[in-house]
Amino acid sequence: MSIAHGEGGGGGTVVSLAGRYGGLVPAAVLFGLFFFIPFGLIVCFSFWQDFDYKVIHHWTVENYRYVFHQSAYIRTMWATLWMAVAATGITLGLAFPFAYWLSRYVRAGLQKPLLVLVIVPFWTSYLLRMYSWLTILGSKGVVNTALEWLGITHRPLSLLYDRPAVIVVLVYLYFPFAVLTLYSSIDRFDWDQLRAAMDLGAAPLRALRKILIPQIRPGIITAIIFVFIPILGEYLAPQIVGGTKGIMIGNLIDNFFAGAEYARGSSVALVVALFIVLLLVLFRKSLASKEAYGA
Amino acid sequence: MSEERELTRAELLKLGGAGAAGLGLYLSGGSALAAQMRSAAARSTEGVTLNWLTWFDHYFPQQLTVTKKKTGIGCRTKLAPSDSQIYTTIRTTGSQFDIAAMDALWVPKAHKDGLTESFDLSSIPASKQLYPDARHISIWKDGSNTMAYPNGWSTIQVYYNPKFVKTKPDSYDALLDPKYKGKIVYENSPETMMAFGGLATGAKQPYDLTIAEIARAKAWLKKWKPNILKLVNQNTETVTALKDESAWIGLGNLGVELRVKAAGGPPIKVAYPKEGLLGWFDGEQKVARSKHKDVFEQFMNSVEGQTAWIAKNFIANGRPMFNEKAYKLLVNQGYKHRADLFNYSKPELIFKAHLQGPSKNPQAITDAFNEVFGG
Repeated sequence: MSIAHGEGGGGGTVVSLAGRYGGLVPAAVLFGLFFFIPFGLIVCFSFWQDFDYKVIHHWTVENYRYVFHQSAYIRTMWATLWMAVAATGITLGLAFPFAYWLSRYVRAGLQKPLLVLVIVPFWTSYLLRMYSWLTILGSKGVVNTALEWLGITHRPLSLLYDRPAVIVVLVYLYFPFAVLTLYSSIDRFDWDQLRAAMDLGAAPLRALRKILIPQIRPGIITAIIFVFIPILGEYLAPQIVGGTKGIMIGNLIDNFFAGAEYARGSSVALVVALFIVLLLVLFRKSLASKEAYGA
Repeated sequence: MSEERELTRAELLKLGGAGAAGLGLYLSGGSALAAQMRSAAARSTEGVTLNWLTWFDHYFPQQLTVTKKKTGIGCRTKLAPSDSQIYTTIRTTGSQFDIAAMDALWVPKAHKDGLTESFDLSSIPASKQLYPDARHISIWKDGSNTMAYPNGWSTIQVYYNPKFVKTKPDSYDALLDPKYKGKIVYENSPETMMAFGGLATGAKQPYDLTIAEIARAKAWLKKWKPNILKLVNQNTETVTALKDESAWIGLGNLGVELRVKAAGGPPIKVAYPKEGLLGWFDGEQKVARSKHKDVFEQFMNSVEGQTAWIAKNFIANGRPMFNEKAYKLLVNQGYKHRADLFNYSKPELIFKAHLQGPSKNPQAITDAFNEVFGG
């Protein structure tokens, strides 16, 4: 340090900058190589053209014009959006009471084992978990067999190959993400505040709405981000359990890449990515605009 | 003995054991001279590792292990998703891959575009095990050379459950009948789905449709869509859907009816639409920019010469191979009826089908498919 000072301010500035930003370098290299450069390539591809299984470096907006002029993509994007909203809503609706119960009523020694149980499905392959739903919801699957055995139905119900089946599987897949995020948020909550609110006359639900929810709002928004955004890009769940009625935008993108139509595929993928970025900005804004308690 | 039975685990082991014994004999050699020659060959190729872009059902890891021991040539395989992706991969990766698998009409395209190099099939002794039809595939000929080493083949036919489908679907238009709403399955393959539409609407080259033919095929596909239950990821899902009767009709490679039966499903019948069948046959090509082109023949000879494993490949993956010697081995081991049900000994059949290949309008094909099935 003394040498740097002795040689003048330049050396000191370098050392100071290195100290301040040195830690950023590994992440910057990682993100640069594996995110920004590939992302830049996707952007370029989306403005190029496919011809005879080759990508021609001819700049054009034709791919975007095509995507926005074809009702099939608009309809599929819309369907993807509402399926993602429905799946996220149901996932959070199930995860919140569970995380609340776990944090408030389960003794500390049992909380961690129960959380481990929530993430146990991650120990098996994603594909295997997906295919298991064919056995559960199939016409000769567990649910239909049980319903017939109980005499509730006399012929198999059609539970697979439609949007509800996709939503059920998405809820199953993303439930652990929501639980973990909500639990970590609720677990830090000071329950005395809730008790105080009720002592002062607030009904339990009102106390939850006015005291608990505002304080765990960052956790709720993080859970929404962790669930909603990956669902927008899903293509395996709709393909395996959705049939031709459950197709999502990811499936159409996959078809382009499988057919080596990289430019067209990149443009649709980029439209979805930009939509996700827009949502992230909105979520971030909603987090920054109000402090806890909604003040 | 009923030959239409399923292969038991013990039988599969027996077949594998026979193969291993055969390989052991092969490896132990018939003479000291042969051993010396093999040893010299192994020394010269020591340290060479080939990169093979292929499909999972083209090899068993044991074949590669034996090849490594016998020739010194190692091999890393990368599984390929589709012909178009293999084509673009070897076009964009320079010398990264040494061998690439492809289907029927894709092979001449890759060769014409300078991505692959033809070779003298007779320089590979194992090629004597192939059916004569496979040794002389006209569309793969480059003068006296060939563009790919033939592997396996299948036609794509219609399978139906007679319990629900009372009239044999003898044309593709029969599949449009509203009574089959949500009861048909096929693979999620835009080019083959569009090819079905092309065949149904009178196209002569269903994998290479013109823009006008694509429009007609798309209109046909729109009528077909309500009857499609699901576009599956892999053939096993077709078998499952036919087995649990969620689907009444499935389109697929040879042998679906046997797989449904093996899975404990109902009897399934086969129909051959009058417009003709789609089909494929595949093979391994020498990549033009490979740095190890000199060992291609030696490697292929070792892998494809392991007859017992080729026979086992047929049993495990259920589609005919082009290896005649493997057929004879299967016959000797009691699998003649099974092999014949797959038309194993009739490789000439595939050359009558409309063969899988590239399109002059690939983007229009995917666009049309997405416009039908999206939303």
